[in-house]
Amino acid sequence: MYKKFIKLLPGLLIIGLLSFGCAQSPDVKQEMTPKASQTQQQAEKNVYKGTIVGKSNKAKTISIEVGKGKQAQTMMVKFDDQTKGVEHAVKGHAAIITFEKRGNDVYAKVIKQKLAKLPQGVTEIKTEELSALVTNAHKMYLVDSRPASRYGQSHLPGAVSIPVPILKEKQAALLPVDKNELLIFYCGGPT
Amino acid sequence: MSTASAGLAKKFGYKNVRVYLDGEPAWAKAYLPTYATHDFIKNGNVVLVDVRPSEEAVKGRIKGAYSIPYEQLDDRLDDIPRNAPVILYGDQEVLDAMEDMRDDGFKFVSLVRGGFAGWIASGEAIEKGPIFNTEIRWVRKLGKGEVSLDDFRKAASGEDKDAIIIDARTKEEVAELGTFKNTINIPLDEIPARMNELPKDKKIYVHCSTGARADMAYKELIKSGYNAKFLLLNIADAECDCEIIRP
Repeated sequence: MYKKFIKLLPGLLIIGLLSFGCAQSPDVKQEMTPKASQTQQQAEKNVYKGTIVGKSNKAKTISIEVGKGKQAQTMMVKFDDQTKGVEHAVKGHAAIITFEKRGNDVYAKVIKQKLAKLPQGVTEIKTEELSALVTNAHKMYLVDSRPASRYGQSHLPGAVSIPVPILKEKQAALLPVDKNELLIFYCGGPT
Repeated sequence: MSTASAGLAKKFGYKNVRVYLDGEPAWAKAYLPTYATHDFIKNGNVVLVDVRPSEEAVKGRIKGAYSIPYEQLDDRLDDIPRNAPVILYGDQEVLDAMEDMRDDGFKFVSLVRGGFAGWIASGEAIEKGPIFNTEIRWVRKLGKGEVSLDDFRKAASGEDKDAIIIDARTKEEVAELGTFKNTINIPLDEIPARMNELPKDKKIYVHCSTGARADMAYKELIKSGYNAKFLLLNIADAECDCEIIRP
């Protein structure tokens, strides 16, 4: 068991690095890749990377969740008229905030969108094309990667539910036998 | 999540892997149909609506469904709680009903796969006869970190001495609109600097005007080890019913 984990570790690390493609759901069991000092490192560089979890125009304050799994922390950052890219601070979206300290307060200087990176050899599909495939009953395997409860509430026609942790555990056993079949994965964002 | 899964599929040797990055919300926003599972329909905290003509619903309907024929839907939209997951079924008209509701701002609308016929074919429970439950009843379950209105009221009335309320609105809002009793006003942006004013051995309930800032303040307090919860409610809502004092 322990050996198996060691063998999986490099893969898990890569997955950890890639897994910011979607708005995060609070009930996802996050990967426990050791990243103890990530939050600290980010703070030292005066950069927060993560998901926006709140924004108040009245208090001119943004909350951003940085780090993964048990290391995840929510950071509060203020913004003002000097802050660039406030429009990228949207709840549920991934963002990169460069900040500076002024007295006891932390102010955002620049807010940028954090774009999802596709794994090598994987292409994006847009709504129109996917909708045509669904309408024409094109042979494909459509996978909902969100937690099962989200799938239960609302999923695309013909989609099967394979949450990320389940795919990691069961691996290809849940996927088609034919390795050439079209696989399409989706989740809940970036919204 | 989808990119992580796609990366795994590549690793397992799949050659033709794509990702629909925009995901389920974009699909729903494009007025395309989404479906709920039978398990979610039976066990979830949902509002299930039969949009077929009422005589059809009387002949047989999914157990627990409300009957709102499509012609009446527009007039009855305000009876349906907007933050509830709404699940619709019917004949052809159900797609229009779904579109109308999404257009009107309902965020969680999905359909029963195969409609009523599909439900019966799967051997799921139905009911027949006159419909008595016309008034839609739905109670939202508390999310993570939320304080119930009952507990909040006990703190606001002074009955619960072990709880402290923080009003996270701005000083201007408090001056204009007043505040609840037994409350300390700490605007959200002052929380990090002023949280040392708060005791760690008491329950701390944060509210604002709608719950958005309270949620942010709650996260900040939890991080620093406070026993905090937040109220997710528009305090202008009559449901709140706490005494307001003018400073």
